[in-house]
Parts: sequence; structure tokens; C-alpha cells
Amino acid sequence: MKKKGVIIGAIVAIITIGLIATYSSSTETVNLDMGRTHGDVSTAMGSPILGDPSAPITIVEFGDFQCHACYNWFHTHKPAIYEDYIATGKANLVFVDLAFLGRDSPIASQAAYCAEDQERYWDYHDLLYNSQEPKIDNGWANSESLKNFAFSLGLDMDLFESCLDSGKYSKRVQYNVSEAKKHNARATPTFIIVGPDDQQEQFQGGQPYSTFKKIMDNMI
Amino acid sequence: MVETLKIVFSNFQYSILAIGIFVSMLIGLLILSEFIFIEPYFIAHIPQGTEFGFSLIVILSGLSALVLPMNIYRINILKNSKGKMGGSVFGSFIGAAAGACSCGPVGFAIISTFGSVGATSMAFLTNYEIPIRIAAIGLLALTYYATVKSLKVECKLKPR
Repeated sequence: MKKKGVIIGAIVAIITIGLIATYSSSTETVNLDMGRTHGDVSTAMGSPILGDPSAPITIVEFGDFQCHACYNWFHTHKPAIYEDYIATGKANLVFVDLAFLGRDSPIASQAAYCAEDQERYWDYHDLLYNSQEPKIDNGWANSESLKNFAFSLGLDMDLFESCLDSGKYSKRVQYNVSEAKKHNARATPTFIIVGPDDQQEQFQGGQPYSTFKKIMDNMI
Repeated sequence: MVETLKIVFSNFQYSILAIGIFVSMLIGLLILSEFIFIEPYFIAHIPQGTEFGFSLIVILSGLSALVLPMNIYRINILKNSKGKMGGSVFGSFIGAAAGACSCGPVGFAIISTFGSVGATSMAFLTNYEIPIRIAAIGLLALTYYATVKSLKVECKLKPR
């Protein structure tokens, strides 16, 4: 009887360990809302929402971490937009990858989602745009550098490295690129601003604060 | 030098051509380099840190507007060789190509069409945008100097 109990216990333990192993390697641990859309854009695989999810306006940014125009917009115009619209709850922002500029672009996007596993997506996103170097594919965004960035943020390196090395989020990035192309995004950054009644305004380029202000003030 | 410029640009057609080249090249390059946006609103701006790139575009457009009509003048009026025309067209083209940011629609189209070869060439044009533009300006300046010199000689030999 005792022997039978040990065997059953061992079987239960093996099944439990197997389930945990399978689950942890094949399922994203983030809270992906597969039905998440903004206007007619599927943002389900995009970044977490920056700002109040119930804000009346959503800014969808199609971008590449190696793009200089995105870098300029991030540093020159985004801070004012964040301060006046995102921090005040009037708008929120979702980043959707259009990673096409170089071989390191998709890996950088995947690394940001690996940081999301540890609830640090936006910290990692901002760190990449603060660390961008002028030359595309010169190594600043290769796998080693991306791991160094994660280390500097104090992320759990075992989790981060296994996530990045396994290519866990490569399909997620591919999906985002195809979503960007579906919406005729042919440059980075491209923005779609979605208003409260799902009205949309799409435009290309790292345009200044005044463009965003005009569009969003008309929507509110 | 001033005399040579007077000879060429006293002809109304060449002045119009120079203005046309300058305006179209300047506006085109400023749009490609995202100093001007035409949609959804017309906006012109010079982001902090991009002033040098902006200045190079203005110089490049100005030099192209000077050198290209002068070489067309040489070909049309003096029926001379087309050798120096090559330098000016090449300088203008290379300078313009360097302004086509790979983030923009041109870069996207090239990368989408030509794959990794397109990506590599666009990355090169973007990575070395400033040095390429400076080289293009150097080439145009040399062509300008050579053109002025040869026009001086040729105009003396074949006075009109």
C-alpha cells in the first residue's frame, strides 16, 4: 500500500514538473489581451499601454529602435506630448514594432518584450532610445548589448537571457511588422491617432508637438 | 569668376533653371530629411542637433543650382564636351541620396524591394549621411571651379 502511494506520488510529481516546464517555455507570461484593438489597428501584440488605458485618445506609434527619426521624436517632441496628454489622462500610447531597418532591429524589439516579462517594458524601451547610436547595425543593439542594457536595469538575467536567446517573441514582432504594413506604414515613425469615436488620423514622420496637439484637440 | 557668372545667368533661361533646381532640390531634400512635413498639416521645423545637416542641404542645393546650369550652358552655347556635366550631376545625385533617411518611405521601399542588399546600402547612406554630403559638396565645388575656369578660357577663345 505504502509502495503504491510512493508510485502515485512520483507520477503526480513528474506530471506537475512536466506541466510547469512546458508552460514556462511556450507561454508568454504577460497579460496579452488578444482582442485588444485601437480603431482598426490590432495592438494585441504591441507594447503595454503607456498611460491611462481608458484615456479617450490612443496614439499608436509604429517604430524601430534603430530609427534616427524615432530617436529625434522621442527626445524632442514626446516629452511634451507625455506631459500634456498622457500624464493628464487625455491620451495613451502604444508602441507597435515596424522593425525593418537592420538585422538588430527585430532583436531589439524582442528584447523589449523580454523586459515586459519582468514588467519593465517602458524602462527598457526608453533605455534603448537613450542609448541609440547614429550607426545602424554597428553593434549597439546586438544581443550582447541588449543583455547589458537588461543588466543595467537590474533585470533577472537568467530569465532575460533565456527569453532573448530562445527567440520567444520573434513571432510577436513579426505580427507587429505585418500589422504595420497592413496599415500602410511605410516609414518610421508612423502614427495613428485614434479618437474617442474611433475616428483615426494617420501620418508619417517624427512630427512636432504642434501636429499632435492640433489633431488631439480636435478629437477631444 | 563674377564675370563668368554674369555671362551665364544674364540669360533669363539659366536664371530660371537655377532657381528651379535650387527650390525643387531644397524642398525635396528637406521633405526627405523630415525638416518639412506636408501631411496632415504643412509644418517646417529644425529639431535641436540637426542644424548642421540643415546647413549642408542648403549649401548642396545652392551649389547644384549654380553648377548644373553652368554646365548646361557650356554644352548648349559653346557646344563643348559633356565631361564636366558628369561631375555636377554625380555630386548632386550623391548629395541628394545621402539625405534619403532610411527611416523614410524611400528607405522602406528600397529595403522592402531589395531585401538585405537594400538594407545594407540604405544603412550605409544613413550612417555616413554627413560625410557623404560633405564629399558631394566638395565634388560640386571642384566642378564649379573647373567650370568657371574653362568658361573663362573658352569665352575668350570663342567670344560671342
